[in-house]
Amino acid sequence: MFHKILIANRAEIALRIIRAARELGIETVAVHSTADANSLHVKFADESLCIGPPPSKESYLNIPAILSAAEVSGADAIHPGYGFLSENAEFAEMVQHAGLGWIGPRPEMIRMMGNKIRAKEAMKEAGLPQLPGSEGVVGDERELVRLAEKVGFPVILKAAAGGGGRGMKIVREKEQLAQMYRTASAEALAAFGNGDMYVERYVERPRHIEIQIVADEHGDVVHFGERECSVQRRHQKMLEESPSPALNEKLRERMGRVAVEAMKKVRYNNLGTIEFLLDERGDFFFMEMNTRIQVEHPVTESVTGIDLLKEQIRLAAGEELGRTQKSIALRGHAIELRINAEDPVSFAPSPGLITAYHAPGGLGVRVDSVAHEQYRVLPFYDSMVAKMIVTADSRPAAIMRARRALQEYVVEGIKTNIPFHKRLLQFEPFVQGRYDTRTVERLLAESAPPAGG
Amino acid sequence: MDVEKLREILAALQGTDVTRLDWTNGQERLTLRMGHPPAPVTALHAVPAAAAAPAALPTPPQVTPLATAAAAPAAAAARDDSFTVNSPFVGTFYRSASPDNPPFVEVGQVVKKGQVLCIVEAMKLMNEIEAEQPGRLLEALIQNGSPVEYGEPLFRFEPV
Repeated sequence: MFHKILIANRAEIALRIIRAARELGIETVAVHSTADANSLHVKFADESLCIGPPPSKESYLNIPAILSAAEVSGADAIHPGYGFLSENAEFAEMVQHAGLGWIGPRPEMIRMMGNKIRAKEAMKEAGLPQLPGSEGVVGDERELVRLAEKVGFPVILKAAAGGGGRGMKIVREKEQLAQMYRTASAEALAAFGNGDMYVERYVERPRHIEIQIVADEHGDVVHFGERECSVQRRHQKMLEESPSPALNEKLRERMGRVAVEAMKKVRYNNLGTIEFLLDERGDFFFMEMNTRIQVEHPVTESVTGIDLLKEQIRLAAGEELGRTQKSIALRGHAIELRINAEDPVSFAPSPGLITAYHAPGGLGVRVDSVAHEQYRVLPFYDSMVAKMIVTADSRPAAIMRARRALQEYVVEGIKTNIPFHKRLLQFEPFVQGRYDTRTVERLLAESAPPAGG
Repeated sequence: MDVEKLREILAALQGTDVTRLDWTNGQERLTLRMGHPPAPVTALHAVPAAAAAPAALPTPPQVTPLATAAAAPAAAAARDDSFTVNSPFVGTFYRSASPDNPPFVEVGQVVKKGQVLCIVEAMKLMNEIEAEQPGRLLEALIQNGSPVEYGEPLFRFEPV
């Protein structure tokens, strides 16, 4: 086991790692920028070292400074948290070359999953279902018709040179296909100088379901069930829950099984998350894999009763998994809300000094945060101030608990998205569990926010 | 403690390598700093100054800006216009080029702009820290071989 872990991160996840390490009897070293000198992650670590000025590039992304800090502090392992250097394969390699333990998957795993095309190829080979579509550019209209019928309507035509939502056309019926293809191709040629098109299954109501993978260094792999992260705005997750209201036992078992089999094939190690797109028919497709601990890991901890950070550390130290898939069960229901320093209507960041702060408590309420009264939300970093996780016997009880806890949450001096969450927890599609990645868009379009935000 | 005892201690320290003594006995506390520290004896990492840089690593900057920032611990001898030289990165602080060499700069000495003051080792690289402005060294704030943080005051100077 490690003796002293250096945490190459800040704020709530750094504190989360300190808590896990302390419970394992491992010392911790916090590194920080000059702006974070008074942060709780610095105060609660056994040791701390200032590694640079406020900009991340010169501090939390400063590889020489972090490795130097590990050396002078005598740390024998580095935990990268999420974000920053957590999915930087070169950094992971340098940590290992320096003779330090890397608390994460092997660099080659990070590298493979970091390249979207390579990741898709590798996961296809490993047996994960892919969104049906043309493998490459569509040759001609006859090929297009054949492909579209195979993929199944509706399909989406995407300009090979397009991006950011431009050059896309949704085709719902076979009769429209040829005409829309000609239009789309001509538009793409005019807009991008290239009329090449791809065709893919169009998912009307996609849900973002991810499977938590836990693997040891010896080839043993289990999954810890799913998290649903469909509450998103511009691909930013806002709320996560487990179990997903969209999955039944059979589908959960199937998604988990293919995920574990794929991970065994590529000999994945440590923790990771496989993101799937789930369509309205119950078909699921591989999207990407995150090779790190996730922001939303607490919902999985709440329903499995297992500390994922402790698990990650002990597995990185080479311990055996020692768990069977059968021993992992999801009990009750957990929901995580990300509390961000942002305007609840415009979503513009709102950094500044917190003048009053009260975090909710009571049975089944957990708050992971370094915020407190007189804490300054800094403009240099992420706007997430806290994660509030509620756990209850059932989904309806968890929603009631989340509403109750938000009533107790006081943050003054900055704007937060708490008012948005209050609306979301009353929004019928969410309450009924019939939502998808476009639900937030619909919520924002149809209901005017209460006065005063 | 009486004067006689203090004399004895000072006499005992004469001609030794000791540059600083902190002594506590109940309520009594004594701190002595010797004016002309000899060459440091130990270094935590005895790496030659010419150690090869690992190819993938960016080289940290060689020169630190002088004395624009950072409140240093109050030094008794410090004048109001004194200034500190701060560490440009996290690493290990050395006052001399090697354990056998004398310190780059002694207390009382006047340094020129560009003169090497110390070494901060980071990632096996020996980075010479130079003076960005002239000054007379009032105090060396860090013990040889100690870890230093980004921005940590290393020396206190007075302008000349």
